[in-house]
Amino acid sequence: MRLANLIGGVFVLILGLAVVFFSLQLTYYSEFGPGPGFLPLWVGIIISACAIYVVIDLLRKQGGKEEFFKLRTRLGLQIFITIIITFLLLPLLGFAIGLAFFIGVTMRMMGKHRWAPCALTAIITAIGIHFIFISWLTIPLPRGLIGW
Amino acid sequence: MELLNNLYTGFSIALTFNNVVYCLVGVLFGQIVGVLPGIGAPTAIALLLPLTYKVNPTSALIMFAGIYYGVAYGGTITSVLINVPGESSTVMTCIDGYQMAQKGRAGAALSVAAIGSFLAGTISIIILMAFAPALARFALRFGPPEYFALTAMAFGLLTVFGGEQPIKTIISTMFGLLIATIGLDVVSGMPRFAFGVPQLLGGIDFIVIICGMFGVAEVFSSIEEPEEGEIIKQKMHLRDLFLTWEEWIASRWAIVRGGVIGFIVGMIPAGGITTASFLAYLGEKRFSKHPERFGKGAIEGVAAPESANNSASISGFAPLLALGIPGSPTTAVMLAGFMMWGIRPGPMLFKTNPDLVWGLISSMYIGNFLLLLINIFLIPAFVAMLRLPYTIIMGFIVIFASVGAYSVNNNFFDVWMMLGFAVLGYLMRKLQYPIVPLVLGLVLGNLSENSLRQALLISGGSFSIFFNRPISLLFIIAAILAYLTPVLRWAWKSVGHPKAQVNA
Repeated sequence: MRLANLIGGVFVLILGLAVVFFSLQLTYYSEFGPGPGFLPLWVGIIISACAIYVVIDLLRKQGGKEEFFKLRTRLGLQIFITIIITFLLLPLLGFAIGLAFFIGVTMRMMGKHRWAPCALTAIITAIGIHFIFISWLTIPLPRGLIGW
Repeated sequence: MELLNNLYTGFSIALTFNNVVYCLVGVLFGQIVGVLPGIGAPTAIALLLPLTYKVNPTSALIMFAGIYYGVAYGGTITSVLINVPGESSTVMTCIDGYQMAQKGRAGAALSVAAIGSFLAGTISIIILMAFAPALARFALRFGPPEYFALTAMAFGLLTVFGGEQPIKTIISTMFGLLIATIGLDVVSGMPRFAFGVPQLLGGIDFIVIICGMFGVAEVFSSIEEPEEGEIIKQKMHLRDLFLTWEEWIASRWAIVRGGVIGFIVGMIPAGGITTASFLAYLGEKRFSKHPERFGKGAIEGVAAPESANNSASISGFAPLLALGIPGSPTTAVMLAGFMMWGIRPGPMLFKTNPDLVWGLISSMYIGNFLLLLINIFLIPAFVAMLRLPYTIIMGFIVIFASVGAYSVNNNFFDVWMMLGFAVLGYLMRKLQYPIVPLVLGLVLGNLSENSLRQALLISGGSFSIFFNRPISLLFIIAAILAYLTPVLRWAWKSVGHPKAQVNA
């Protein structure tokens, strides 16, 4: 976890410096008072200063026992990838069928359910999303190639 | 007399059939959210917010408020029966509530939580009715320097209440302020941090961020570290819910003390309901003649924090309605709701939208009464909900978050942004950067920056304007003291009080 925190700290430092860099390209002070670059510049400076403190503090300390990757991190990553695939498919499948696909696949992936209940839940989800969000709440969600 | 008039106005709105239904739906939903792991009040409200765009704002806010205080009731059930807090605000209830359940007094623990929450909540609403308009009248004197100083104080207080690593709290607050600056600058019209992406010119919508950071990020965290516990199997009859005379004697003043602590802490920006329940428990233990009973099933250990969290959830509406300053993530999400409907909370709200203010406040009496009934008669139904597989809950969160993010501007860009913020939220949680300061920084960012710029414009660039005006000076001093807390804590420890912990 110490290494992860260290990488996090360095990332925050880079972000802080980037904010300072981009803020300097905005007007710091105009004739009407502080310009658009005023607050972001100070925000960037404070982020950078705090990040330096975090990094130095971590370098001085011994690492803790806690690990960044846990037993179930891999499962979390699989769910994350499934969400990405689902979002990529949403324009093609539409929200109702796309998100129902997500529910079915993740139920199966989490390991406790057979295919039949997963498929049934997916079908109920698709019907639920269609009637609640599209028909009842009239949210203009994309309906995909099938038009549902 | 004015109070009675306001009460009459409020009840004439809150008691319409439509609003009672919204209130009932809100408290039921809040109770369910409280019971279910991995979803809290800010997430629930954020996920529902985009769907209520067409609903009357008063009705929607009545429902959201119901969710807010309903969650505190619901979280108690899991704390008592499975020793897993359904909500962070019921963490303290686990300590004595679970012990009581193991001794066969689960019914009494749930009952005292419901009665305490109801009594403390109702008293809080009465105080809120008197206090909020007074606060609004006081706030009419606020100009840009006072508003900037107030937001600076709110950010400072986050470092006091925000966790063990104040530096990370500051970074998180600055992240929030930074995200708030993305898009066109309202004064100069110049784009900031948009990098030529047209969707970023209007800024990043608050709902997109909340759906990601509270909704989907919580899914990742819950998959990685599931909260599991064993339900204490105990047949509960209605008579088990009644308190014995000794239990009532032991808990009655704990309810009052918890309620008072909750009300005060709930009003402090960044105080929140979790801190309120924490302080109420510690206070009760210190006040008790038998502190050794705490942790072994003392009923006061349930009554005090439960009364406090409900009381705080109600008093949190005072700064939101009267100043337009949310003190907790949930009220911050509600502020986003106000903005969505084009209503600006603050001192003028009591004059411009009295129906909304008093209707909302009066609905809290109804909501608390409904929750009392629900928590006496419907507990088994909510216990049954604990058997719902997490995959289904997770699926619902992802569905609502995706639909919510899409419906903000009807484009996929926001859906991807939501996922990006989910990853950021997950990593921040994992690396112990608190999320709440980011949310408050984000929601108060524009007010803070605009007030600062207006104040410096008035003063011709001199910062003395913040020190010449008494109210502003008071807030600035409080802010400086708050920012110095980590240094003070360090100094306290190094002069020979190694066990002292301010942020207990």
